[in-house]
Amino acid sequence: MSRDGAAGGATVPAAPAGSAAAGPAPTRAWALKDLVLVVVLGVVFGFAYWALVQAWNGLALLMGPAGDLAQHLLLGGWLLVAPVAVAIVRRPFAGVVAEVLAAVVEFAFLGSPVGPLLLVAAVLQGAGSELPFALTRYRRFGWGVFAVSGLLGAALVFFWSAFRSGWYGQDLFALRLGLQVLSGLVLGGLLARVLVRAVVRTGVVENYAIGRAGGLR
Amino acid sequence: MSAARPARPEGVVVDRRPSAAAPDGGEDVVVLRDVGVRFPRRPEPALRGVTLRVAPGDEVVVLGPSGSGKSTVLQVVTGVVPHAVHADLTGEVLVAGTATARTCVVERSRHLGVLAQDPASAVCLPTVEGEVALPLENHGVPAGEIDDRVDAALAGVGAGALRHRRTAGLSGGELQRVALAAALVTGPRVLLLDEPTSMLDPAGVRSVRAAVEGAVRGDGTTAGGPAGAAAPRPAVVLVEHRLDEWAGEAGVDGLPARALVLGEDGTVVADGPTATVLRDAAARLHAAGLWLPLDVELLALTGAAGGLAAEANRALLHRCAGGTDGRDGALSRPGREPGPGPGPGPGPEPDAEPVLVARGLSVGRREDRRRPGAAVLHGLDLAVRPGEVVALLGANGVGKTTLLLTLAGLLAPLAGRVDGPRAGLVLQHAEHGFVAHTVAAEVTHGLGAQAAAAVPGLLRRHRLEHLADANPFRLSGGEKRRLSLAAMLAHRRPVLLADEPTLGLDRRDTVATTAVLRAAAAEGTAVVLSSHDLRTVAGLADRVVVLGDGRVLADGRTAAVLRDDAVLSRAGLVLPPLVAWLLAHEAEGALGPALRALDRAVP
Amino acid sequence: MSASPLRQVVPSPLARRDPTVKLALLTLVSLVALLVLDPVTPAVLYGLALVGVAVATRAPARTLLLAHVPFVAFAAGVLVVNALSRSGTLLAAAGPLVVTREGLALGVALAARTLLVGVLALGFVLSTDGVALMTSLHQHARLGPRVTYAVLAGYRMLEEMPREWTLLQHAHAVRAPLRRDGRPALGPRHHLGVVFGLLVVSLRKGERMAQALESRGLGLAPRTTWRPVPLTRGDAVLVVAVLAPLAAVLATSAALGLLEGPGTLTR
Ligand SMILES: Nc1ncnc2c1ncn2[C@@H]1O[C@H](COP(=O)(O)OP(=O)(O)OP(=O)(O)O)[C@@H](O)[C@H]1O
Ligand SMILES: Nc1ncnc2c1ncn2[C@@H]1O[C@H](COP(=O)(O)OP(=O)(O)OP(=O)(O)O)[C@@H](O)[C@H]1O
Ligand SMILES: [Mg+2]
Ligand SMILES: [Mg+2]
Repeated sequence: MSRDGAAGGATVPAAPAGSAAAGPAPTRAWALKDLVLVVVLGVVFGFAYWALVQAWNGLALLMGPAGDLAQHLLLGGWLLVAPVAVAIVRRPFAGVVAEVLAAVVEFAFLGSPVGPLLLVAAVLQGAGSELPFALTRYRRFGWGVFAVSGLLGAALVFFWSAFRSGWYGQDLFALRLGLQVLSGLVLGGLLARVLVRAVVRTGVVENYAIGRAGGLR
Repeated sequence: MSAARPARPEGVVVDRRPSAAAPDGGEDVVVLRDVGVRFPRRPEPALRGVTLRVAPGDEVVVLGPSGSGKSTVLQVVTGVVPHAVHADLTGEVLVAGTATARTCVVERSRHLGVLAQDPASAVCLPTVEGEVALPLENHGVPAGEIDDRVDAALAGVGAGALRHRRTAGLSGGELQRVALAAALVTGPRVLLLDEPTSMLDPAGVRSVRAAVEGAVRGDGTTAGGPAGAAAPRPAVVLVEHRLDEWAGEAGVDGLPARALVLGEDGTVVADGPTATVLRDAAARLHAAGLWLPLDVELLALTGAAGGLAAEANRALLHRCAGGTDGRDGALSRPGREPGPGPGPGPGPEPDAEPVLVARGLSVGRREDRRRPGAAVLHGLDLAVRPGEVVALLGANGVGKTTLLLTLAGLLAPLAGRVDGPRAGLVLQHAEHGFVAHTVAAEVTHGLGAQAAAAVPGLLRRHRLEHLADANPFRLSGGEKRRLSLAAMLAHRRPVLLADEPTLGLDRRDTVATTAVLRAAAAEGTAVVLSSHDLRTVAGLADRVVVLGDGRVLADGRTAAVLRDDAVLSRAGLVLPPLVAWLLAHEAEGALGPALRALDRAVP
Repeated sequence: MSASPLRQVVPSPLARRDPTVKLALLTLVSLVALLVLDPVTPAVLYGLALVGVAVATRAPARTLLLAHVPFVAFAAGVLVVNALSRSGTLLAAAGPLVVTREGLALGVALAARTLLVGVLALGFVLSTDGVALMTSLHQHARLGPRVTYAVLAGYRMLEEMPREWTLLQHAHAVRAPLRRDGRPALGPRHHLGVVFGLLVVSLRKGERMAQALESRGLGLAPRTTWRPVPLTRGDAVLVVAVLAPLAAVLATSAALGLLEGPGTLTR
């Protein structure tokens, strides 16, 4: 331990390799590790949702028609993956890609009966969730941005779900919108930030953009 | 030879090679010149001034204590550092003659075959076939050739039977073989292998070694490569702890011809022909807490070469075993002389009531219950007394882990019953058990409120004080293991179950871990562990239970069972040379004390 | 949580068809069904689809029935909510609950569509292995190799996930505090801990997998494809076998004046 400074780059001119090469410009093709990270998020959330749905189905059967409504309260949970991916990877379309991959996992691997149209919902959710981050040019990750992210994600996909499930013209339309947006804000926005913070503390995302930026700042 | 120079205040690495040119005239395939690596948020660099040249056909073994940067060296060559893992890299790295500052991991993969340290994440695809075919597809090998090369590569590592399996159903040992096949299949110019045998049983070690040898000799079949063409022999850089097992009968000669030794601070301590490096630096390496081949360990202790053939060494072992004659006064390192142990160790109280009793037990995974023969072990009777250390031995996949989970009450028995108090369990994958955000909180998890007061003492006892506020997931492999053991021991359960508690640890951490387990036994805890490391088991366990053919093959005092050749060959166990010698030449009761005396010689 | 979330694919006529073709057909039918909002047409299509899936996947009735549970429940919910929550011609009333003719018709239409898409998606999943799907998308839908293999790595993780879950569950249960009755307290907090552990362990594993994939040359060009899977006549037959009845039903429905579009929603 006698020569601390010597090997540490003080004596070597700044150029070789180093983290410069590891920091891709935002427009370059996705690094494989970012791609895999987003897939992993999709898989873990897909699996957790699957487990949740297993529990949910029984409950929905018991609750009958009310199940349809109660589902709205949990909707925000389905939005989580996009803000989490954006916060970690910090590149354009991360949120959309994450939602789409989660949907692929859910539908093609786990067999969601919603079918491939889940992808449409995923794109809308992802776009809505990602928009606020994009507006800050992926630089701000405060509570406010997360809250807006969850809110927008829920709102954008709502109009699609409404069309798909025939909610237009129902008496419950406004109630549904209110419930979903609230759920999006809490579960799909604020909870996402709580989760990202906990993940950062474990150190497993040190080698992603969020690590280079020094956490959720 | 510069290998064992005493001190290099400037940290200058002496290049042992007279010139950069390889013996066969080819160029060096890997060149590291004065490489330093510093990870973010780490005060000390992980590597400093590392210089290494590898020519085609070279075989290099990288030695060093845990955390010395062995894996980092390999990652610098593959480019994972700094391209995938943030780090500051200084110095120069060349692979196949190209300066690699700007070539990424993928570009370098044209020349490299890589086996990373953790086999579970070195296998990426759902099917075994697909996994081994992927590198060939990526390298643009004509589709018609792929089939045969996949076959050959799998056969080469003794995994031919796995070809049509899905990877999700494989055991750790099986995964390791598949990952190795995928590293060999393209016929790379350089093979980088990070602890390729850490999870394997002795048969697995032998087949992996043979596969690597086959690839290097190019006799064939193993590693594909354009058929018939006189491809240059690949170079091998190997990180390995289990040197005696890797070398087999041949001793030090069975190791790669060249050794690179890293010190605790990430500098190169020695680089040269393996035999010379190990001979010249034996004492230092021993003191640094490395695993060494037996001959070298004895050399470090007595100064006598020749291993078990040398009189001085035999005398030393005899004394360690508690004998009195044969002291020849020729020991060069009196300060480090391991004296005989204090008696036969704590051991069980022979007349105590068993705390843990299994009767007519069949174990297996519940999800397989409907399949006939789903039980991996049946008709098992086992009784463990307070203060007793029992080791479960057996080949990969024989059911050791499953049995431990059943004894812990986490898996329901398929038949029979387990009686005993709630047992503590330390899993093979330390990370899976972590629940808290700090080390201090981790050791008190699940304990009552008064536990907080005991934290400092606990941390001190397990050498974790300096990490009290660190996040458990950020610790090094060895530290993670220590923490999970400490956290479990804090519960002071009457029974402690430990699954391969010393896997992947260097000698010093292994010794520390076994000491902790014995201390727990001395306080009356019944300890049951599984392991593939017979030397550690022989020094630690009072009793061994050998599993094989779906049942218990033998159950008895350690030395007595290990002496039974029929049982050993039935279970596929191979005695390390030291254990074999002690069994052959010393009294049965001396086996444990002798090995523990050697352990105590590690500072 | 011992059951695998992934269904085992058993050999069947449908399992031999190309996944990309199946996926395209499924998407097309789902889109068409989205635009049909009368009760009869989707109900007829569902009947045909059910028979088609049963024959083409050779799935036992029990499997089909069990797999119906989630979307039948959902369909029932949709039906009831719509029947009760739309204004129109009164059919029946019980206290505050009012069933309208329009509401009922729309409810049936939406429920039938849910069943139709559900059974087709079921047919797809029962007959399509994840690996085959990704390989086929790579070959026939120009999905890039890096995305393809990243998703396949995810697929492997998914296959291992029940095992990983059990392992984490065990590791956490060992140190969980005991309840009064002496059993470990495995409440919501415990499960949250396990889920979070699963996320962290998987992220770490994913990072290493990405390194492994790159060090095996994923991303090099040009690459070859082992065992390319060509599209066959059978796939063409499948296309016709799906599209012809679909067109016939729609045409007949239109001719009979039954067919209705999204306009019904806001009427
Ligand atoms: N990504 C990383 N970020 C921060 N520190 C790291 C990282 N990777 C390794 N280190 C640290 O660098 C040092 C060298 O690690 P390395 O994994 O190379 O050790 P090793 O010799 O392979 O040890 P082992 O025998 O336990 O595998 C350790 O102190 C380790 O904690
Ligand atoms: N979670 C699981 N689900 C299903 N089968 C499993 C699971 N874990 C292990 N197995 C299977 O059960 C058998 C016994 O496995 P076990 O892990 O107990 O072996 P082991 O003796 O501990 O092996 P090793 O020395 O490789 O750790 C193996 O055939 C293995 O494939
Ligand atoms: Mg290592
Ligand atoms: Mg095991």
